[in-house]
Amino acid sequence: MSSEKAPFSTVFLMSKNISIALLSAVLAACSAPEAISVSGSSTVLPAVSKAADQYSSRTGISVIVNAGGSGGGFNQLAEGQTDIGMMSRDITAGELEKFKAISFKETAIGKDAVVPSISSEIYDAGVETLTLSQIADIYAGRVDNWAEFGGPDRAIFAIDKEASRGTRQIFMGVVMGDPKAEAPGADLVTGSNNEEQTALTQSDSAIGMLSYAWLNEDVRGLSITLDDGRIVEPTLDTIRSGEFPFVRNLNVVTRQDTKPSAEDFITFLLGPEGQKMVEESGYIRASN
Amino acid sequence: MNIANRQTYRRTTNFSGTKIYCLASAAISVTIVCTILVTLLVQSGPVLFTENAGLIGTKWNPSDGQFGILPMLFGSIFVMLIAVTIAFPLGLMAAVYIAETRSSKLRRALKSVLEILAGIPSIVYGLIGVAYLNIWIADLFDLQSGRIILTAGILLGIMILPTFLTLTEDAISAVPVKFRENAKSLGLYRHEVFFSIILPKAKSGIAGAGLLALGRALGETMAVMLVIGSLDRLPSPLFNPLSSGQTITSKLGREVTESAFGSPHFSALVFMGLLLVLITILLTIVSRLMFKQEDRHV
Repeated sequence: MSSEKAPFSTVFLMSKNISIALLSAVLAACSAPEAISVSGSSTVLPAVSKAADQYSSRTGISVIVNAGGSGGGFNQLAEGQTDIGMMSRDITAGELEKFKAISFKETAIGKDAVVPSISSEIYDAGVETLTLSQIADIYAGRVDNWAEFGGPDRAIFAIDKEASRGTRQIFMGVVMGDPKAEAPGADLVTGSNNEEQTALTQSDSAIGMLSYAWLNEDVRGLSITLDDGRIVEPTLDTIRSGEFPFVRNLNVVTRQDTKPSAEDFITFLLGPEGQKMVEESGYIRASN
Repeated sequence: MNIANRQTYRRTTNFSGTKIYCLASAAISVTIVCTILVTLLVQSGPVLFTENAGLIGTKWNPSDGQFGILPMLFGSIFVMLIAVTIAFPLGLMAAVYIAETRSSKLRRALKSVLEILAGIPSIVYGLIGVAYLNIWIADLFDLQSGRIILTAGILLGIMILPTFLTLTEDAISAVPVKFRENAKSLGLYRHEVFFSIILPKAKSGIAGAGLLALGRALGETMAVMLVIGSLDRLPSPLFNPLSSGQTITSKLGREVTESAFGSPHFSALVFMGLLLVLITILLTIVSRLMFKQEDRHV
């Protein structure tokens, strides 16, 4: 009896050891230290996620890219919930103030423009260009009909964005002179570029703000009439030269204690392949 | 003797093991609820002690330190009322139809379909709302956009309907057959049987169903967020369901990742969460009290 029992328990113990070894191996594989998480601006996202695919297939390191807006990306980075934050604007003084103990590094991976965008119906009816103060009139609620700007007699449907969105802060900074300006003329508030684009497409009398890469036949970019009467169209050339008033940097942000693999991914973003993805996403490569 | 001893020993250990397990489960549930309430209270602190935060105001602008919660609070209640106005009469009538006039086979089939409906993730309703409902409503009322309070209310009404219907139907079917048979044998008409026998018996069950549905309506985030327009403003005129608005949940959904933990902004969001919990608790207490009183009369 006992001679039978002994081998059984040894086998049992051995298999237990093996299963523990296996389990720890599996767990080690799951918690692979090589996953990089990136989070933030939905404007920067397309370029980064395309580059992330390439980077992953090349190095085997997985990169997880999430949207959430520039402000959200910054907060998650500051609170240690993500390795890299994506921001379609610069870090504000207020944000730096909130996390004084941490030092952040901004790296521009490309350039983009925020384009005042209107429904194609209004564009086709003849409203192709506005001055900055005319756009400000719309968002301040002083003008509420397209007829005032030579368009059809139809109420203006002004679409605003969530206050922390990079696109909104650039737009309001240029139009209203204050990135945090309130917009009493707004009729709707959206979040990501995606959501804003849908809202613009579904309306036939809307104005909104989109990243250049999100314009299409249903959502047209307005040209801007400058004070001296010149009209600047939103094109890659005017964005590259900085002539279009709403040009901004697309940034990735890290903290001083970011892990090396994340730094390596940023180097990849700035390299030829990463920059190609920036261009394929409809943006302009970083100047450096 | 030996065997008997062992059996009693086993029985007692099993019993106390189960007892401890149940006790621990109950304790954990209570602890979780308390932890949530305490966390909400503590995290609400910063904004409550911030001067001039304008909490009971209509202006929400975190960069100016203005955290007026009235538009969100009003939006939550308004949307809930619309949803309830749509779902309760429909649900009640459908439940009566299914429970009282259909065969039990059909009843089971209908119920399983309803339970599938109740299990559809809210984001799916939200996508349908964005893709179709909001456009239909914009066309119907000739609006520039269908992302309005009414759309959110209708969508929410559709979402809570299956939950309310299926639970209400359960409550009605749970009234024992002998009540119906006795009532019928006394010569009562069908509608008399229903209104004077079955409805009073099923009342507390129906109220429970209504409360669960209300809770879901108050707590629903994704679907509402996508169709309500997210404008932090009171409608003008106040009870105009055709204007864009904001609910507490849609506000939290949009802004909670953007606010830094511990800031007055974050705290103001948590405070709204606390209000939502308090409203739910209040609803529960009110309905309990209501039915306690009625039970005494019966």
